[in-house]
Amino acid sequence: MNTERVKIARKTMVLFFLVDTSGSMSGTKIGSLNDAIRETVPDLKDLSANNPDAAIKIATLQFDTNVHWLYPQPIESEDFVWNDLKVGGLTNLGEALNELNSKLSKEQFLQEAAGSYAPVIILLSDGGPTDNYKDGLENIKKNNWFKYAIKIAIAIGNDADKNVLSEFTGNSEAVIEVHNKSALKAIIKFVSVTSSQVNSKSSGVTDGTKTDTVINGITSYVNTQNMDDVDDDFF
Amino acid sequence: MFKKGDLIKISTGGEAKVLSELGSGGQGTVYKVSYNDKEYALKWYHKPGEEKFYKNLKQNIEKGSPAPFFLWPLFLTEKDSNGCFGYLMELRDSAYKEFSDFLLAKVQFSTVSAMIEAGIKICAGFQKLHGKGYSYQDLNDGNFFINPSTGDILICDNDNVSSADENMGILGKCRYMAPEVVRGETMPNPQSDRFSLAIILFLLFFNNHPLEGELISNCPCMTEKHEKKFYGFSPLFIYDPTDNSNRPVRGIHTNVIHLWPEFPQYVRDIFINQFSQKVLQEPGRRISEKEWIENILLRMRHELVKCPSCGNEIFLDTEKNDFRCSDCSFHVDLRVPIIQAGKYKVAVNRDKKIYQYITDSSKQKLYVCTGEIVESKKAPGLFGLKNLTQNVWMLTTKNKNNRPIAPGEVVPLLIGNEIAFGNGSSAKIV
Ligand SMILES: Nc1ncnc2c1ncn2[C@@H]1O[C@H](COP(=O)(O)OP(=O)(O)OP(=O)(O)O)[C@@H](O)[C@H]1O
Ligand SMILES: [Zn+2]
Repeated sequence: MNTERVKIARKTMVLFFLVDTSGSMSGTKIGSLNDAIRETVPDLKDLSANNPDAAIKIATLQFDTNVHWLYPQPIESEDFVWNDLKVGGLTNLGEALNELNSKLSKEQFLQEAAGSYAPVIILLSDGGPTDNYKDGLENIKKNNWFKYAIKIAIAIGNDADKNVLSEFTGNSEAVIEVHNKSALKAIIKFVSVTSSQVNSKSSGVTDGTKTDTVINGITSYVNTQNMDDVDDDFF
Repeated sequence: MFKKGDLIKISTGGEAKVLSELGSGGQGTVYKVSYNDKEYALKWYHKPGEEKFYKNLKQNIEKGSPAPFFLWPLFLTEKDSNGCFGYLMELRDSAYKEFSDFLLAKVQFSTVSAMIEAGIKICAGFQKLHGKGYSYQDLNDGNFFINPSTGDILICDNDNVSSADENMGILGKCRYMAPEVVRGETMPNPQSDRFSLAIILFLLFFNNHPLEGELISNCPCMTEKHEKKFYGFSPLFIYDPTDNSNRPVRGIHTNVIHLWPEFPQYVRDIFINQFSQKVLQEPGRRISEKEWIENILLRMRHELVKCPSCGNEIFLDTEKNDFRCSDCSFHVDLRVPIIQAGKYKVAVNRDKKIYQYITDSSKQKLYVCTGEIVESKKAPGLFGLKNLTQNVWMLTTKNKNNRPIAPGEVVPLLIGNEIAFGNGSSAKIV
């Protein structure tokens, strides 16, 4: 007998970033978003590498007039490279939701031999949909993966349509507003990391569902950080 | 957040000075500090805790650590203006690695023996903890640090430890929580700790969760509803003898498929028993830490030998009269001598240590070494036991000749010999 072992079998959790890359995102917004996600990837890589409960994969869909996946499949955070997103065009959220819906299946993006945890979907947008998003939303809401996913929306600046974002998350508390660059960065990092850890945390007597835990964590983070206080240009 | 040089008031007097940050977790940040000219780790909570939590911590500090393996809270800080506080504990030596690093195969034990020692110490730690009337409550893979060369362990995150009938607000970590806790029937207690302990031991030996086979990997999306089902309402052991629907899957559960047949039958049997439907449903049937140690882990310690041909560590079947190596198939008709002392049977093997519970049945010390097996330089293959006690031992040979064995001397381990340890206890070589 020896003491050699291979890595323990783990389920996978896919973290989806749905990024609005319409024309209005140009400048500081997309610049800080790009920076923020690029800086968050090493943390996710660390989390995945040191977590015996879950492997973490990343998938990114950018949507404007068209929709486009950064990689054809969710990819191990170890191998994930963030290339700066370019912006331009409209905000076709409906189309993005249809595209996401088609990938949220065991045959598509969630085909893990050892199975998956419910995904985490983070939607980042600074405006309102320019297409008919209602149908897309109705359809994806029937998808069980979407139903069980932890859904968080980050509303960038004052023009973000928070009602639409709440429809997406199904909970207005899961919509977080950010108004400046440092807040955006901090929130992207905090939300990604917190939601990726949710399957390996001990739960307390007063905790609700995993979604509740994540949202409570984010809310108390937002409340203690006074993020609008910083000496930073507003979006 | 503290910075280097910050001073933190300790509730029993004096101040701790921050030296550096060691890392951050979900609940707090850990700093290296110096207090009364000694270095400690300070765990500082991000949120002001409830009064109950603070009081409990204070009580635990006053009652003291159950065993040296615990990174027990030693000093409490005063609360700051926001009501936040922390506690001091010993610093962890970097030779200790996180248990998760073993699970992720980043670290491996140097020897099978070290792995068994880790199991013994984990059980001994919780035996002491429960013996003092505590319950750990949040026992999971994140609580252990292990030295891969020696099997020495450290148990951390002792801040939820409380009296067996109290609770600090914690339920535990999914996959480690006892089914009755997952089902919401009870709060964590010593009996549910014992379930988590069995999970940890299984992980330690087989690097696979005992309830995770085909049913789990075939579950495409592990939602909270499914977690309740597989870990609470209908858990099923991967080697349940009456239901094979959750067997390990080739290509996924690689470790356990390979390792399960390599462990002795009594080890497999106890896991089959402890994860049987009957015991899963009836927490009272879980065996105690003492039983894990006495009936399983010490037997593993005693029966582990090195194969004379390939040198690998092998579990000897002491019931058989020959030896066959399960790794290289080396076979000899003669089996090694066995030291039989009371209920213990120790296979004679070079460098093997004998502890006080064997040479003195009135003592139960698991780690006080009282003898070491050495091989004769003149006659290789002939073994002796070196007397590491302060007592004179008495050897009685097969032919009823007596000879005293002074401290430091070696008694030959020939079949038929008897050793009296000078304290009423004795052993026979069989
Ligand atoms: N006694 C100690 N000596 C040295 N380093 C320590 C000690 N205790 C904790 N650490 C380190 O400090 C960091 C944070 O520890 P902490 O226990 O807060 O985190 P955690 O266990 O990851 O999180 P959680 O509090 O959510 O369980 C970890 O990297 C840990 O290795
Ligand atoms: Zn061999």
